[in-house]
Amino acid sequence: MIEISQLSFRYREGAEPILQGIDLTIPDGSFVGITGAAGSGKSTLTYAFNGIIPHCYPGDFYGSVTIDGLDTCEASLTDISRLVGSVCQDIDSQMVSSVVEDEVLYGLENFGVPKDQVEGRIAEALDAMGISDLRHRGIAELSGGQKQKVAVASVIALKPRVLVLDEPTAELDPASSLAVFELLARYARENGTTVIVVEQKIALLSDFADMLLIVDGGKVRFQGTPSEVLEHSDELLEIGVNCPRSTSLVNRLRARGLVDAPAARNVDEAVRACKQVLSGKGVSA
Amino acid sequence: MIEFENVSASYDGELPILRDVSFRIPDGDFVAFVGTNGAGKSTTMRLVNGLLKPSSGQVLIDGVPTTQLRTSQLAAKVGFLFQNPDRQICCSTVREELLFGFRAQGRADAEAEAKVDAMIERFGFDGDAEPFLLNRGTRQLLALASIIVMEPPVVVLDEPTTGLDFRECAKVMDVIAELNARGTTVIMVCHDMEVVADYAKRVIAMTAGQVVADGETFAVLRDRDVLARTHLLPPQVVDVSLRLVEDGAVAAASPVALADTLDEMTDALAAAAGACERTGVR
Repeated sequence: MIEISQLSFRYREGAEPILQGIDLTIPDGSFVGITGAAGSGKSTLTYAFNGIIPHCYPGDFYGSVTIDGLDTCEASLTDISRLVGSVCQDIDSQMVSSVVEDEVLYGLENFGVPKDQVEGRIAEALDAMGISDLRHRGIAELSGGQKQKVAVASVIALKPRVLVLDEPTAELDPASSLAVFELLARYARENGTTVIVVEQKIALLSDFADMLLIVDGGKVRFQGTPSEVLEHSDELLEIGVNCPRSTSLVNRLRARGLVDAPAARNVDEAVRACKQVLSGKGVSA
Repeated sequence: MIEFENVSASYDGELPILRDVSFRIPDGDFVAFVGTNGAGKSTTMRLVNGLLKPSSGQVLIDGVPTTQLRTSQLAAKVGFLFQNPDRQICCSTVREELLFGFRAQGRADAEAEAKVDAMIERFGFDGDAEPFLLNRGTRQLLALASIIVMEPPVVVLDEPTTGLDFRECAKVMDVIAELNARGTTVIMVCHDMEVVADYAKRVIAMTAGQVVADGETFAVLRDRDVLARTHLLPPQVVDVSLRLVEDGAVAAASPVALADTLDEMTDALAAAAGACERTGVR
């Protein structure tokens, strides 16, 4: 369980707080999507989960963040990183080895994982990301999508309770982006891991997340299931968040009184709502 | 006019990245190249601006092969926006960045200064600002502005909206659409099919170094076979209309089946629902 209470943070060089009075409870095993306009504070919010603030970036930190009861202000970064695994926005800055196997091994050695468990952990992590065949490949020769999967595999090999990813699909094509989300969702489901993803591709978040957070001006403006949050498509647009087109379509049909379906999270749900409209059963009598 | 005639290309002289690619892009076109990572799209862009020369076949810019053009000649004809603006920005102020291209071509005269001033005003930049202290979206706009201030007849954009939020994306794309409306040829690599659907006139779909489809934007984005071969997902409204036809909910020639945009689809469904009500289905 992650609990954030009245969290505010101002970077030392910043004039205004980048996060303001955030209260949040994330149950174990949740798949949380975070989005918002540039500069809204969403990346800084991820730094609160993995202890980067207050441990690495100096500033004024108010309130508290606890991960499974561990207060991130009081715990060392090493202790936090045993619970929370992070994948950076810039994958290349995260890679330290030249071969895939060594990259996964690096974290395991640093965490002092017993030698007899290492092989199993490497094989399991590569398999979970569907990249067992890349084990002996050079990282420099991998595509962006493959590197992304290596970065995630290196972190999940450490078996964190919480996985935090900042825009993991920014440079990936649609098929690779979808594949990364499918692998993350499956891994989280099978292992009970909490996954927190910051992402601009709201269509992916709305399809996979069970909790969606919209950050604006350092505050969580909307929070709930994707369907609950996406009901507010007009207000979201005002703060620079565009809903998936499937959501906008159903919201428009509802505004015209043609259907009373909830906000569509994906194309499947939009197709279902459209069929109700076409069959004359969009609105219950 | 840009012409690719049976172009093959390789980075190491052995592994072919592009294989026998041919197409023509007339002046004023707006073409989006789509396909998975590694399909050869960025390689194609590098061939257009001469950063890479073909290993066989030829790339012609206004009838002249790129192998016969000097880098400065090519740069004057084809502006190139990198995917990551930080690989492009190299000066210590916004004004210097916008003047960089003119300086490189020995044309940093009063006319260039006037063009830079106009660009600063148009984009609302602070000319004295340090580029690397700007946010990602503004750096992308600066990189784009530093290309278009030179007024090249062709601009090549490698994933111009990657990492931008919705508002930043719309701002960048609106500038590009305006350029195209004034006659500039736009060639863009883009992974966001909603952006492609909103802005491009034509789509060239690639996979494994070859062109698999070349046509009007929605003709390509509605072709399930092409989408499957290139591992692409259609824009969501198109996907909805294709699915409604495939599931037999509407006829293939109905307005719902032909709706490409959110407006068209909403209106078509509202009309269909109205017809339903009139015929007493409800």
